[in-house]
Formats: sequence, C-alpha cells, structure tokens
Amino acid sequence: MNKAVSRRSLLGKVGAAVAGLLAAPAAKAAKAVVQKVLVSADAPKDYDPTRHKWVMAIDANRCIGCGFCAEACKKENHVPEGPYFRTWVERYIITKPKPDSGAARGETLVDCPNGGMHGYPEAPVPKEEIQHSFFVPKLCNLCHHSPCVQVCPVGATFDAPDGAVLIDPKYCIGCGFCIQACPYGCRFLSPVTRTAEKCTLCYHRITRGLKPACVEVCPAQARIFGDLKHPLPEDPIQQFYQKNLVVALKPHLGTEPRVFYAGIDKEVR
Amino acid sequence: MRRLIQMPPQVLRIFLLAVGIVVAYSIARYFLTPPSFGEFGWYRGAALAELATRDRVYAGKLACEECHSDEYQKLVKHEHKSLACESCHGPGEAHSKDPRKDNIEKSSFATCLRCHEANPSRPKWHKQIVTKNHYPGSKCTECHVPHSPSEVP
Repeated sequence: MNKAVSRRSLLGKVGAAVAGLLAAPAAKAAKAVVQKVLVSADAPKDYDPTRHKWVMAIDANRCIGCGFCAEACKKENHVPEGPYFRTWVERYIITKPKPDSGAARGETLVDCPNGGMHGYPEAPVPKEEIQHSFFVPKLCNLCHHSPCVQVCPVGATFDAPDGAVLIDPKYCIGCGFCIQACPYGCRFLSPVTRTAEKCTLCYHRITRGLKPACVEVCPAQARIFGDLKHPLPEDPIQQFYQKNLVVALKPHLGTEPRVFYAGIDKEVR
Repeated sequence: MRRLIQMPPQVLRIFLLAVGIVVAYSIARYFLTPPSFGEFGWYRGAALAELATRDRVYAGKLACEECHSDEYQKLVKHEHKSLACESCHGPGEAHSKDPRKDNIEKSSFATCLRCHEANPSRPKWHKQIVTKNHYPGSKCTECHVPHSPSEVP
C-alpha cells in the first residue's frame, strides 16, 4: 500500500525527534544540578571496600573491665554525652546458690555503670558469695542477616561489602525501626543529629590502616580485630579462632553474627 | 487508537491517572536517585567514602613512636607492651599534629587503679592490689615505672 506522507505529519515527526535528542542532555544536566543540591561527596578513592572483610572478636577471658574501650569510642566518634554508647562493657556476677536450695547456681547480676567507661566500682555482693564473675565488652555484632538492615525503610543502613554495618547519616530519617529491630541493643537515636547511630568499626580509621579506637586502647587484648580477606602473618584474629571455642550471641535468632566471643557464660545475651 | 479513546470515560480517566502516576514516579526517580545508589547494594555507595573521611581523635601507637621512640622501645620490652600510649595518655591526634604539653593527658594514680585495683570480676591472671593494704599513702610511681613495670626506679 502506498500511503502518502503528509508534510504536516513528517514535520511533526522530525520535530519530535529533535526535541527528544535535545531533551536527553538537558535532562542529564538538570539531574546533575538536582543531585548536586542533594548530595555532595568528595571522597578518597584509594580504598576498595570489596577487597576487605573486617571482623572483631572478643576474648572475655582477657577483659579486665577497665572501660578504656568505651571511653575511647565515645571520644573518637563524638558520641553524645549521657547513656549513649556504641560499645560498652558489662559486668556479670553469678552468685553461689543458697545452701540446701538444690540449685547449681545463684542469681545472675548484670550491671554496666555508665557503660563501664569510667571503670568498675566494687562488686555489689561480697567476694565470698560470688561463684563466677567476668566482664563482657559489647558492640555491634556485625550480623550476616542484620535485622536492622532489613527494617530500614529508606535504605540508610546497610551491610557494607567490607563487613561493617553502617548508617548513611544523610539518608537516615530517624524513624527508630532499626533500634527496635537490633536484638543486641547496639543502636541508639542520637539526640544531636536525630539519626540512628551505631558502631562503625571506626570506619574512618580502618580505611586508613588503623585499628578501631577500642582495639587500639585495649590494654589486655580482649578485643581482636582483623581482616579475613588479608590475613597477616601470625594474624591475631586467626589465632583467636584457632585457640578458642567461640560462641555468638543469641544464635537462635538466626542473625548469624560475625563477632565471636570466647570465655562467656550462657547468661550472656 | 480510536478504539482506546472510545473506551468509557470513567475508565479512560483512571487509565490516564495511572499513566500520569507512573510517569511522575519515573521522572522523580530519575532525578532523585543518588548517583552511587546500587554501586554495592540497595544503598548509596558514596556513604562509605563519606564515613571514611571523618577525622580521627586517637592517633595510634605508631604516630607516638615517631617522636617518643625511646619511651616506645621501653614500653614494648616490658609487661605493658600490650598497652597503647593512648590507653593511659588519652587521645593524641591533636598532640601529634601540634605537640604541646597541655594537649595530652598525664596519667595519674587513678589511671593505674582503673586496671589494677582488686576486683573479683577481673580475671585471675591480671595483677591486682588492694590499695588500702598495698603501701597506703604512697604513689604508684614511687616503686613502679609505668613504661617498664619490672624495673625499679
């Protein structure tokens, strides 16, 4: 069929094509302007997050409860004053059972005065009544299946390829879902920024080849930090896995934490 | 085309509304999606680099060694080798950039006791004292050198 093409329709089609060609770069330029207003990132390029897998481990047999870690974390990360901690140290005291009670153990007392960041006072029960007592440093458990990441409605919290679970402070809307979701209580809503905050494994330090502040100041090597993708000769983290029988906290929740603990009791949650 | 336009007006209106919503969503998405979104996953990839650009407060042991290598060498040869300088002396990044006496902490009696005061919760391998039984009234440094605890001053 020989259909006549009218001048009007041809001109219309050509006009539309030209407009389309012009619109694409114009839209790209407009997009660049909009995004410049929304985000401004001037970031170093020499760190490749896909080539690392950072992890921390806790040896509670070594923890002496000085609380230097909690204090260093607070200072390093400018954590707000008050009951806000990215890492802290808990004290567990398991008392002896009452005579003739038929129980294997007594009560379990847990305290954490000021996150342990000023050290620990004397035990609340006399030494003779204590069956076991120990300190447990706590931090983000770096879950493989992080409940906090799953509930974030805006994609502001995420499991970074290098093993850190991070929060994008520019996209966090402060709804607090992640704080409720974390079974380990490792997050808080900052009264300063009004966004969720948590342990970043001192991301600004580890990306520059330093240890996290808590690991740096720990006098007893209770906190062990390393890179699973680049094991050092005599890697402390590999030695920790070899020497100790380890447990994860709350394994029944299926979060699969990457932070392993050695030397803790069943009462530790 | 004519068929489509001939559909009942109430259906046509809903259809156009749906198309309008999809178009508006696509335009908004095109402009508002951050450039690095999806680089590593369902989040803004640039956030990683932004978090990495923060300034540090603790300088690290090696920064201290640059100037205080004598004390550092003493420290690593004795019992306190596992301690960082900043465990007792506090954050040192400001001091490492501008070394002055007033921007670094001088550790005190309380610093020693924070680890060494006897506490039943501390592990047994750790050396502890009961202050009121252990030379009360004297300073730790009268008998112990913090950087090399096994030496006698």
